[in-house]
Amino acid sequence: MVVTGCGAVSAVGATSAAFWQALLMGRSGIARLPRLVAAQLPVTVGGEVVAVPLDRADRDVVLANRAIDEALGVARLERSAVGFIWATGLDTYQEGDRGPVFRAAGSCFAALAHPFGEPRRMVAAACAAGTQAIGEAYWHVRAGHVDACVAGGSSCMLSPFYIIGFAALQALAADDGDDPSSACRPFDRRRHGFAVSDGAGGLVLESLEFARRRGAPVLAEIAGFGMSQDRYDLNRPPEDGSGAERCLRRAVEDAGLLPREVDAVNAHATGTRVGDLAEAAAIRRFFGNAWTSKPVSSLKGAIGHAMAAAGALEAVAAVETCRTGVVPPTVNLGEPDDGCELCHVIGRPRHDDVRTVLSASFGMGGQNAAVLFRRLP
Amino acid sequence: MIYLVAAAERRSADQLPDEPARLRRDFRRFNLPVQLALAAATDVLPAAEDPASMAVVSLAPCQNGSPELYRWAEAAIAAGSAGRFGATRMNPTHTLHVIDNLALSAFAIAYGTDGYCLGVGGAPGQAWSGLEIICNRLADGREREALLMAGDQAAVADATGSRGVALLFSARRRPYVALGRPVEFVAIEHRRRPAPQPVAAHAAAGLCDLLGALALRGGGPIAYEVPAEQTDGIDQVTVLLRVA
Repeated sequence: MVVTGCGAVSAVGATSAAFWQALLMGRSGIARLPRLVAAQLPVTVGGEVVAVPLDRADRDVVLANRAIDEALGVARLERSAVGFIWATGLDTYQEGDRGPVFRAAGSCFAALAHPFGEPRRMVAAACAAGTQAIGEAYWHVRAGHVDACVAGGSSCMLSPFYIIGFAALQALAADDGDDPSSACRPFDRRRHGFAVSDGAGGLVLESLEFARRRGAPVLAEIAGFGMSQDRYDLNRPPEDGSGAERCLRRAVEDAGLLPREVDAVNAHATGTRVGDLAEAAAIRRFFGNAWTSKPVSSLKGAIGHAMAAAGALEAVAAVETCRTGVVPPTVNLGEPDDGCELCHVIGRPRHDDVRTVLSASFGMGGQNAAVLFRRLP
Repeated sequence: MIYLVAAAERRSADQLPDEPARLRRDFRRFNLPVQLALAAATDVLPAAEDPASMAVVSLAPCQNGSPELYRWAEAAIAAGSAGRFGATRMNPTHTLHVIDNLALSAFAIAYGTDGYCLGVGGAPGQAWSGLEIICNRLADGREREALLMAGDQAAVADATGSRGVALLFSARRRPYVALGRPVEFVAIEHRRRPAPQPVAAHAAAGLCDLLGALALRGGGPIAYEVPAEQTDGIDQVTVLLRVA
């Protein structure tokens, strides 16, 4: 199973190349947003995608289609020739002339899905949705139900509704200083929550045989997928990270590998107090004593938390890491917190000839998903 | 071979079993579509052999949220038009009402489920995707049992007319509780329509109608053609069943 196309639209770039370069440079797309300041919201920072105008009613569709177009362009495939397994985030409200206008995530999916072949499936797994969509596509293509599939996710949730909603859960990073770009600090001692962002990420998955027959570019292999449920609490993971660790282990077992054969981890780490602690514990349990030499990085300090798109954008970065061997740094990580000890990539990218990357997402409610990417020999 | 073992439809979430206690405790935090889906699931679970290892596919409500959340949004927009958006506060419980995988997570927490779990989104026609996923997984031998559950609400501002549904499937030939005879799901066929059809987004309604049609039929093969408005508007969908 291979990846033959990637597309990314994020707060740090409107193409996958721009996205990757920004990650390597350690640049953050988190900023203080005038519209949030003007609305007097409790949180005023976020990762805005400037490439698509804010006032477009179909902004969610346009954003997703940019990533899909890019991925299909690289893979040299048409929509009608591939399946579509995608996550479009959560329902929201928009301001209307006569009160709130409900905007269902399903209507965005329906607008995107029409030109595609079978299957057309919408995944709903909160923050794990993008990774889950890629995993579903992986299983689907591997089972021979379809030759190729576009998979990933998109999200337009950087709105007053979600800022207020997640602020009520005390999950968001406040703008607490002169440098709003440092609001989100995964694994850091001073971390205090995540920054909501918009974005879209997509992959084209197909069998190696189909890709070779078409002469398509092979960017990386998908070697395994795993999922698990925390079975613990709707709002927080178990402190020992046991649910997340089961997910990582299942992805590796699916690939027929051992944890020590994984070279690096693209972490979910959003910058929340409890989430990062549990994830660090999970990664240490997964690797055992080898954790001290396995580089881990989180993208959330750079691009924020793009919800349904988060796992898909991280998958794009994981593919690039497999291709280049380079692990991007965790932006805004200065001093790892007690309990967050890992082999962090701090300050600059790590050139390690990394070939196998585990990309993980841990969703609200305890739904976990992880995809194992590998450089094809 | 995939067999329907039990099914339940709920229009009220008033009566819940005492166990699992965790579900009873969390239940009032959920919005009505999630409550109805979970209530329907509790109705079919006595027929399950091992809830902890079964595959669970949960359909997100086609309209998430709740009347409470809608009223909050009204107040927030009114405040926003006066430049005071930030003055509004949200009850944290209501934030849960937009989470799309809430029923799935609540079920897994209550029943200790850690097998294949998937939340399918609330776009038109996704109920048949959920059904197809379950059929594929049981046919491939990945699980022995599977649960499909869904909850709908008629409108986000008014939850009247809401309903939930749950269907329990087995890879083992067992009688369908409602008919006392085995009901085999043979295939789900798709044919692309020449032109898109208008649709009505739903999660539970289509599955409830399928169960209603099944109850009216005698033995033998059934080709249940899903009404166009209950598909994604792109494909014609036919569910092939066989009642022993």
